[in-house]
Amino acid sequence: MSLNTTIGRRTALAGAAALAGTRIARAQTPAEVKLAMLVPLSGPWARSGLLEQMGARMAVDDINNAGGIKALGGAKVKLLEFDAGESAEKAKDAAQRMVAQEPDLSGGFGCWLSTFTLAATEVTERAELPWLTLSYSDLITNRGYKYVFQCSPTADAQAKELVPIIMDLAQSTGGKRPTKVAIVGDNSASSVSFYKAIHEIVVPEQKLTLVTDEVFTPPLSDATTIVQKLRSGKPDFVLMQSTNAGDDRMLVDKFYEFGLTAQKMAMIGGGGHWCQPELTKLTTKEHLEGVIVGLANWPGKAMQDVNKRFIERTKEPWFGHDSLFGYTHVMTYVAAIEHAKSADRRKVMESLHTMDITDGPARFFPDGRIKFDEKGRRVGAKLCVVQWRDGVPVPVFPDAVATHNAVWPKASAAPSPPPLAGGGRGGGVFNACPSPLSPRHPRACPGDQGFRLCRDRSPGQAP
Amino acid sequence: MDIESLIENVLNALTAGVTIGCIYGLMCIGLGLIFGIMKVVNFAQGELLMLGMFASLYLVTGGGILAFLGPYIGPFVGALLAGPIVFVVGALIHKFLISRVSGLKTAGTIDDGHFGQLIVTLGISLILQNGGMIVFGSTPFTVQTPLSSSAIEVAVGYGDASVFLNKAKLIACAVAIAVAIALYMVMEFTRIGKALRAAADNPTAATYMGINVDKYYRMAFGMGCGITAIAGGLMATYLSFGPFVGFDYVIIMYSGVVLGGIGSIMGAFWGGLTVGFVQQVSALILPPQLQNAAIFIVFLLIVLLRPQGLFGRSAERA
Repeated sequence: MSLNTTIGRRTALAGAAALAGTRIARAQTPAEVKLAMLVPLSGPWARSGLLEQMGARMAVDDINNAGGIKALGGAKVKLLEFDAGESAEKAKDAAQRMVAQEPDLSGGFGCWLSTFTLAATEVTERAELPWLTLSYSDLITNRGYKYVFQCSPTADAQAKELVPIIMDLAQSTGGKRPTKVAIVGDNSASSVSFYKAIHEIVVPEQKLTLVTDEVFTPPLSDATTIVQKLRSGKPDFVLMQSTNAGDDRMLVDKFYEFGLTAQKMAMIGGGGHWCQPELTKLTTKEHLEGVIVGLANWPGKAMQDVNKRFIERTKEPWFGHDSLFGYTHVMTYVAAIEHAKSADRRKVMESLHTMDITDGPARFFPDGRIKFDEKGRRVGAKLCVVQWRDGVPVPVFPDAVATHNAVWPKASAAPSPPPLAGGGRGGGVFNACPSPLSPRHPRACPGDQGFRLCRDRSPGQAP
Repeated sequence: MDIESLIENVLNALTAGVTIGCIYGLMCIGLGLIFGIMKVVNFAQGELLMLGMFASLYLVTGGGILAFLGPYIGPFVGALLAGPIVFVVGALIHKFLISRVSGLKTAGTIDDGHFGQLIVTLGISLILQNGGMIVFGSTPFTVQTPLSSSAIEVAVGYGDASVFLNKAKLIACAVAIAVAIALYMVMEFTRIGKALRAAADNPTAATYMGINVDKYYRMAFGMGCGITAIAGGLMATYLSFGPFVGFDYVIIMYSGVVLGGIGSIMGAFWGGLTVGFVQQVSALILPPQLQNAAIFIVFLLIVLLRPQGLFGRSAERA
């Protein structure tokens, strides 16, 4: 008896329909949901990528250990990791390989450095792959893309928010608003967005004078000329927009060499790399002491459990900006997939556009909300400020994450003292704490702790 | 900007240019030696610089054998000892890989082995980069010394203007000059130097004179690697580095060698010094992001006006 005679056409069609139905059902409830992570795992930005990877891996384990994605029948999350390398070209190549090799991805995130993200999202947008990023450049979400979602406040928004905080901090401590600012940083995309806002909006609005504006191509080979020019400008505070720990180290070391510690002149870094544990190994905690850092997120009180488990799991000294974003990106995707009840990338994109949550992963942001606007920017994304104290970055702003009060350098905020006997270029920051050896080369003064300021905190509240 | 600030800016840039330039000069000598004697274009030279940095790091930090020397002397002794370590690595690379595509074996072939050298050295570069990633990881490292963030302040006699001489770079500069002079002495006044120069000038004739050209090529390759590694060890005292750091310096090395005059070993030192000097001093008038562009402007000018390089006459003999 042949097969053709036993299985009739109707039976075959019914079987095919049943099989197709099963396939559809499988597509709707996959055994695993694939998420891609494209971050630099080699090159100057690799450490940032590794920290983001640690956070993402922990989130995946947390989800899977808790039973997977419930809306998909307990489907497990699988993280596929790709190296963005050390250039935009490599990041774009890696993105092309990623979308070609993994056609069933539900979403992805990366690439840490805005320059890389700008390149890689050209590929992911064409592939209609939802993409979450912590990168800061406003250009990322200024291109009319539908599948790109920016969780951080954009670099221009950060510039507009950060500088007034700094100005208020200075005025509250010394009674004098800073008038002179200096910029030093690299020419990566997020830094360029930051400078644009500083030049066009912040400096005129805050009635500041930009005394030094030094932009370099990373990595720095030496910072002598840059720091010397900055020193000549005698700024009240300096905004440092480098993008990797190596350049951060070179800058703070050179500032220290020239007697310009953060206890003498306010030094404001930008970005998560300014709070990486490596900095304490590359330089010393004395060089970092008092450096203020504006960044897109920092673990707050809602993250204490995750914080503790992360430290136990990775042996890293703290759970910071990059790891937090890795964790949050995975959790945000899971929330979006639960909401969409599908791992289909188009439905995930629609879910990300329509979701408006204040619980779950939203608790991991200081403003406590995940809602993306039509550009893909997170609504109400708020800047966090941390400060290096005794070798550890501590959050000082906003209140949702703050555990300490900000300390402002006494010298920067105080009114300029009269010129010192012995002549020289008196006044300004450099003479505020003169060394007996050289009136123009101040050294750290023992016991100079600056002023403490209670911002965003009701009187009597514990720091 | 007042005169005092201007004087300070200019003098600090000049001193930074000279100190960095001397270290670049040493770095370029390594490549110049390999190219000058063996005519091998070594694209892995940046990775040998990286190996020098890591060799120095492991010698002086943690349980390293030089840890007892402390953070003031140890890093510089470590840099010097990185030279012999990487010399051995270089000699082995030559024995098993480079010798197959260079020297007498390829003399007289259509391309004199240059295509093979290109591919082999690029391959070595990739292997060392990725091998470094596996072995060392991607976390940035540095050889910590308090000298890297302390300076000697020298008053210049005009108002309060002063020059800051970074102590680590000053010592590194002195070591670089000493090593360069030592190499010059070896090349000029010793039997080994004469044999190396003979092997560079005419390997066939050198063979007839009883010189083991392959052995001296191996020695030249090892020395080139070792000298660049010493420069790497010195740079590690003030620079953060990882397995991919070599890529940032290989272009500087080639610029220095071509500027100095291809084939001239001491010309490579002056070429490297010129590159470092231009890089630092250009930041006085140009945005620092154009520092490397300034190097190539000077490079093109020199190539235009003096195609044989600054010390082109020396190219006649290594």
